[in-house]
Amino acid sequence: MSVNRLLRVGSVAVASLGVLALSACGSDPEPSGSSSPGSSTSSAGAECPQGTLNAEGSSAQKNAIDEVISKYNEKCADVTVNYNPTGSGAGVKQFNANQVDFAGSDSALKPDEMTAATKRCGGNPAIDLPMVIGPVAIAINVDGVDKFVLDGPTAAKIFQGTIKTWNDPAIAKLNPGVTFPSAPISVFFRSDESGTTENFTKYLKASGGGAWTGEPAKKWTGTGAGKEKSAGVAEGVKSTKNSITYVEWSYAVDNKLTIAQIDNGSGTPIELTADSAGKALAAAQPAGTGSDLALKLDYATKAAGAYPIILVTYEIACTKGLPAEKTALVKSFLSYFVSKDGQASLTDLNYAPLPAEIQTKVDAAIQAIS
Amino acid sequence: MTAITENKPAYDGQALDLTGKSGARAFKNTLATVLIVLAFLIAMIPLLWILGTVISKGYHLLLNADWWSQSQRGITVRRQGGGAYHAIMGTLIMSLITALIAVPIAVLGAVYLVEYGKGTRAARVVSFMIDILTGVPSIVAALFIYAVWITIFGFNRVGFAVSLSLVLLMLPVVLRSTEEMLKLVPDELREASYALGVPKWKTIMKVVVPTAFGGIVTGVMLGLARVMGETAPLLILVGYSKNINLNPFNGFMGALPTMINQDRTELALQPAADRVWAAALTLILLVLVLNVLARLVARFSAIKSK
Repeated sequence: MSVNRLLRVGSVAVASLGVLALSACGSDPEPSGSSSPGSSTSSAGAECPQGTLNAEGSSAQKNAIDEVISKYNEKCADVTVNYNPTGSGAGVKQFNANQVDFAGSDSALKPDEMTAATKRCGGNPAIDLPMVIGPVAIAINVDGVDKFVLDGPTAAKIFQGTIKTWNDPAIAKLNPGVTFPSAPISVFFRSDESGTTENFTKYLKASGGGAWTGEPAKKWTGTGAGKEKSAGVAEGVKSTKNSITYVEWSYAVDNKLTIAQIDNGSGTPIELTADSAGKALAAAQPAGTGSDLALKLDYATKAAGAYPIILVTYEIACTKGLPAEKTALVKSFLSYFVSKDGQASLTDLNYAPLPAEIQTKVDAAIQAIS
Repeated sequence: MTAITENKPAYDGQALDLTGKSGARAFKNTLATVLIVLAFLIAMIPLLWILGTVISKGYHLLLNADWWSQSQRGITVRRQGGGAYHAIMGTLIMSLITALIAVPIAVLGAVYLVEYGKGTRAARVVSFMIDILTGVPSIVAALFIYAVWITIFGFNRVGFAVSLSLVLLMLPVVLRSTEEMLKLVPDELREASYALGVPKWKTIMKVVVPTAFGGIVTGVMLGLARVMGETAPLLILVGYSKNINLNPFNGFMGALPTMINQDRTELALQPAADRVWAAALTLILLVLVLNVLARLVARFSAIKSK
């Protein structure tokens, strides 16, 4: 075989790979029909920078941010926003390692994380911007029960493992007229470290009346069987009779699970709605210093109509210190996220939009980024 | 095999008689045949099951031209539409770069082992190292590149870093298969070449490598097929992007395994579930196409022995 022959065969192989690769010149799909043709063409051209924004973090806000990115691209077609839902902890780490432009997290920066973040931002502090409220549902699968009421202490006992069967008097007392089987309660929990677990255990600790003995943490310390990620626990409850779990609202709805109403001590059981979750956020206290908007949620709130088990997911960004073009992108995207348009798209996805006064504060903080 | 065919004429005519009488041997024969066929069928069950499931759940999106020509930009898990163009391109680009780096090193390494280093201490060391490299799990290769690329050099996560870690996985596969192929080239060919006064390097270039060319290409394709489905390096070394990014040196990049991983958490939603199956089928098809190409190249480049 001659070198010519070699070259020929080689080029055939390369060419066929190339043809395979380039046969279709790819493109992006047309924006979905929801946008009116007039508004999609650079209606706010002045506010639209160009470039790519990379972000990473909380999986609890993935669906929200995906939707907002999609809507944002109808307005600003020249901006590409990537979001990787690898988890809050990973997001903060990647942000501090200068790998992404902003991070998504279910909990505000801890002091040591803030130190690292300040270093990453060139000596300027990073900022926690509350962006989405993700209610956590207690979801059950019990034959014949489609309305279910729980209160803090009972929930804590179930997830701690001190209440073991469905026909326990404590459950019966909260649900008059409902007959429960005498079957044991199968509890599912998140086996991965999760912001959802952390917020849920904070609730159990705060309103469980001492029945929850562990400390709130990303890692589960209660009873039950572990499943990976929100999809895992939701699937577990869906496929197991007489089971219970805690999971983001959207997963409970998508899997058609029965969602518990919570009696927060105000006397009436509260159904999980965007409105009732928003009310709980109104009871939150600011916890951050300066322009930082970290919130301290009141999980033991007794406010009428406030659904207490919520988590706030933050975007974490530099107040200063990013390159100018990245700053413009971050500001443009985040201010769209917090705007009325951005927040309005969230309710359909089973998130709760931010209350108006918090929206205003967050927007002001974003405008102050330079 | 040869023994049986050689013996056959001697027993001709009596053969029927013998098998008829020896019930125990016939029984053993039947039993072994049944067991072997059974084992084969059992081995086939998972393969057919996987193929059947993936094809039946994934084929309908693949029939849509958009699947091959559009990205997932602006498509959320609740929405139909979009395609896998960004992921297909990402997988192809990263694999191609991997091959461009790994194949020359692997082929040259194999040439050294077979032609130059036979029996030397250096060759034994190289061979031993390749054996170790074969056993390195993909996650370790990925973390190693993470440590070098990001922790030490401070670069960003990009597609090229993935390629670098895939090189570590592809190199031993290609090197070993090339080595075997070169060993199969008969020494007579080399000796004939030397006898005509052809220098060693020219003998290797024009006689040894061309003779083994088909086998080498097959090895390369198998190596590619091996790295195309790797997920760990993608998860660690590059962010997933739903948008088209053809630049392996800048920004997040989509790939088929990470596309599957991305939508996997939302299987309760039909559009996402459809895309997961379709992306899985696309990946299988890509690997299949590569294998078919490898066969074709091997067939057409085979040295014809007249």
